[in-house]
Amino acid sequence: MKFEHCIRCTICVENCPVFRVNPAFPGPKQAGPDAERFRSDREKSVDDWVLLCSQCKRCEMACPCGVEPAQIILRAQQRYGREHPHTAAHLLFANNYYLSTLGSLTAPVANRFAATKIGKRIFRRMGIATYIPFPRFSFRTLRGEKKSISRGNRKVAFFYGCFINFYRPDIGRKIIRLLQSFKIDVVLPPQWCCGLPALGNGNLELARSFARKNVASLSNYIDAGYEVVYTCTSCGLCLLHDYQGIMDIPEAKKIAENSYDLHEYLLRLIAGKEIRPKFQEVHRTLAYHIPCHLRALKIGYPAAELMQRIPDLECRILDDACCGLNGSYGFKKINETTAVQLGSRAVSLISKTGAEAIVADCGSCRMQLGGLSGMASYDPAEILCEALGIRDKKQMK
Amino acid sequence: MSVIAYDVIVIGAGTAGLTAGARLASEGLQVALVTAGEPTACLSTGCIDVCAAGVNPLDGIADLPESHPYHRIAPAAIRDALLNFQRQCAGLHLPYTGAPDQNRLVLSAIGTFKTSCLVPVTMRSSPQNEEEKIHIVTFAGLKDFYPGYILSRLRNAAFSTYDAGVSTTMGIAANFEDDTFLEAFILWLEKLNLRENKIAFPAVLGLESAAAIVDTLEQRLERPVFEIPTIPPSMPGRRLFNVLKDHFRRQGGVIYWNWPVVGVEKAGRQIEAVRLESQGRPMSLNARAFILATGSFVGGGLSARRETIIEKVFDLPVFVPGTREDWFEQDYFSRNHGIGRAGIAADAAFRPDGCPWDNIFACGAILAHVEALKNGCGHGFAIATGEAAARSCLEYLR
Ligand SMILES: Cc1cc2nc3c(=O)[nH]c(=O)nc-3n(C[C@H](O)[C@H](O)[C@H](O)COP(=O)(O)OP(=O)(O)OC[C@H]3O[C@@H](n4cnc5c(N)ncnc54)[C@H](O)[C@@H]3O)c2cc1C
Ligand code: SF4
Ligand code: SF4
Ligand code: SF4
Repeated sequence: MKFEHCIRCTICVENCPVFRVNPAFPGPKQAGPDAERFRSDREKSVDDWVLLCSQCKRCEMACPCGVEPAQIILRAQQRYGREHPHTAAHLLFANNYYLSTLGSLTAPVANRFAATKIGKRIFRRMGIATYIPFPRFSFRTLRGEKKSISRGNRKVAFFYGCFINFYRPDIGRKIIRLLQSFKIDVVLPPQWCCGLPALGNGNLELARSFARKNVASLSNYIDAGYEVVYTCTSCGLCLLHDYQGIMDIPEAKKIAENSYDLHEYLLRLIAGKEIRPKFQEVHRTLAYHIPCHLRALKIGYPAAELMQRIPDLECRILDDACCGLNGSYGFKKINETTAVQLGSRAVSLISKTGAEAIVADCGSCRMQLGGLSGMASYDPAEILCEALGIRDKKQMK
Repeated sequence: MSVIAYDVIVIGAGTAGLTAGARLASEGLQVALVTAGEPTACLSTGCIDVCAAGVNPLDGIADLPESHPYHRIAPAAIRDALLNFQRQCAGLHLPYTGAPDQNRLVLSAIGTFKTSCLVPVTMRSSPQNEEEKIHIVTFAGLKDFYPGYILSRLRNAAFSTYDAGVSTTMGIAANFEDDTFLEAFILWLEKLNLRENKIAFPAVLGLESAAAIVDTLEQRLERPVFEIPTIPPSMPGRRLFNVLKDHFRRQGGVIYWNWPVVGVEKAGRQIEAVRLESQGRPMSLNARAFILATGSFVGGGLSARRETIIEKVFDLPVFVPGTREDWFEQDYFSRNHGIGRAGIAADAAFRPDGCPWDNIFACGAILAHVEALKNGCGHGFAIATGEAAARSCLEYLR
């Protein structure tokens, strides 16, 4: 956070998706380095517009001077959250992990309720947007899976994340089989929400409590020779950057040094000639929507590099548009218009490529883009599995 | 855990780095590009200045001082690089008008004329003298663009204002990507019954579809229309960056964002890897060769200390023009500050002079003796040296 380094080039402003469509938000330069000069610990924060920042980090990725406007705004958001009462929607999304646990246990009922008119009206009353359907809870979560050991050379502790756990455990099972196909042991360590939703809703303390539990659990596995592999790019960003940064968790460095994005992990094993995947042709034309947080991980686009190796696969990379959902951001009614406008723009760029389907590493990007476009959307791991002939056994039944 | 390795790593996502990277990737090499942030192209007019002196910029280059790095490239290779750039942009829906051996004028936002060579097709009809009858259409609330400046210099100009619903450059440009918005705008224009021969707009006519939008406007209004580049945020500059980026990716290159190189790993006469210090995990990327394209002071490649100037990635020897007193002219707006000559001196293979490693090649604004401002040779020089450095690198690797 070096607000003094700002040369006012406005490159961050050009990259801010929210600023483009919502005149109430003054943009990363003003909300970040400019306003920071006037923020004082002795005065209560009054700038409610800091909450309009979606934390996509695009400003930060573009700034040539290392200013980190998103970090500055994130801290201002936490402070605002500490000093003001939380709305129902903020509380709800901050606690999405507990609610999702409940939702999964009662999936058949919860899903039906969320889809009814009354359900939607209650959602809207609480400040929750309903322009795309709320994701469907899965009755059987990934957490319930049996441990699977195949006695390989490498050992992976899989941090699957809430989205996969509660909504798409089938993808989680595919990823486990994908890793196992390379003779890698996979375990599912005890884990909680990464904490990002709590952070995004101005609840630093709750975020910290999730983080401490995860660090304690993952740390044990690392000591036992495991490497942590995550698949949700937002979980990854939180584990690698926020635990050490704004959350200031002891031992977080150890987690960061031993955690890898799934595709980055595979790419490294390929580079070290430990594995040699034999991809079969996949006849598809895909539009790869790069999640903002993948960009922010600073690991390049490893899934794109893997997909490049699949014969016949055509994959166009799109990284100039934010999908607009940003986890729970777009589900809040005050952000609904922003989310829909940004999503439509992302969809229009996708449709210009002529692709038949969307790929994206982040579950919420897929939900948004699939919901708004009606196109099929996949996790890159699903495409890799397709090229390797790996299927989810439980789904096949 | 194993490290990821590429054939070549390009440092810097400017015009030079993206051009060099695309060339290397098109030859089948695995290329990664790491960058601190977005380049000066985003601040520029998007016009390709090759050399502002003379009617024919290629002749102008011949007259530059012997020390100028343009002289390390054969004139035919400079022309080929520019033609190649034009071809690749045309294929990506952002054609560039003009030819490498012909300079032309572009009307600026303050009513002066800028000399450039290849210009985005959206500026194709920019007037070549002060007499032309033009009508400027601007947008309500748009800061950074005041038609009054132009009116004070071009006496046959007039203007009108349209309310686009938003007032930021990016916001208006994004609106133009929406067909309904464009249609309503055209209807409004038609009702104005304009009599001037040409219609001008600040450069906000869309993002990726700008060329098509200008076409539509010309057809419907039955006369030439053109964009006037604005100060940053500059859409034509961003479009240029996007096209270069898109082209690089289509050749198979991968970009790592927000990756300021802070350290290197070396062995003997080789650089083996570049390093990033990050809040997450310290990261390094290996390669067999490196292209240094970090720009000059604005781009971040060079940094001035009290008495000296340093190159920030490899700490290479920097050519420093005299002592600090010689760096600046009295007149702040002078195009002739001595510091414009600072940078990395390089040989005909674009290897930095006095560099202890064999696998580094430099291109673009970081090179010494360029004087981009004085000579009017920004992007054109970056494209030509980007291609040239890539060629040398290719030879080295083979
Ligand atoms: C305001 C302005 C307007 C201009 N207008 C025009 C114009 O209209 N027409 C024209 O032809 N030219 C123009 N120019 C000049 C032109 O932009 C440059 O000469 C040319 O594009 C230089 O390109 P480059 O690739 O060498 O460097 P740059 O564009 O400077 O790019 C350097 C890149 O390197 C990155 N970088 C720096 N340090 C590091 C590091 N340590 N690690 C990783 N990455 C790093 C930067 O983030 C950046 O992406 C303009 C320049 C400016 C400043
Ligand atoms: S924060 Fe960075 S990108 Fe934004 S205006 Fe300042 S220097 Fe430019
Ligand atoms: S994090 Fe995203 S929404 Fe927030 S200021 Fe930066 S670019 Fe804008
Ligand atoms: S960021 Fe990851 S762990 Fe956190 S809620 Fe989202 S998917 Fe779950």
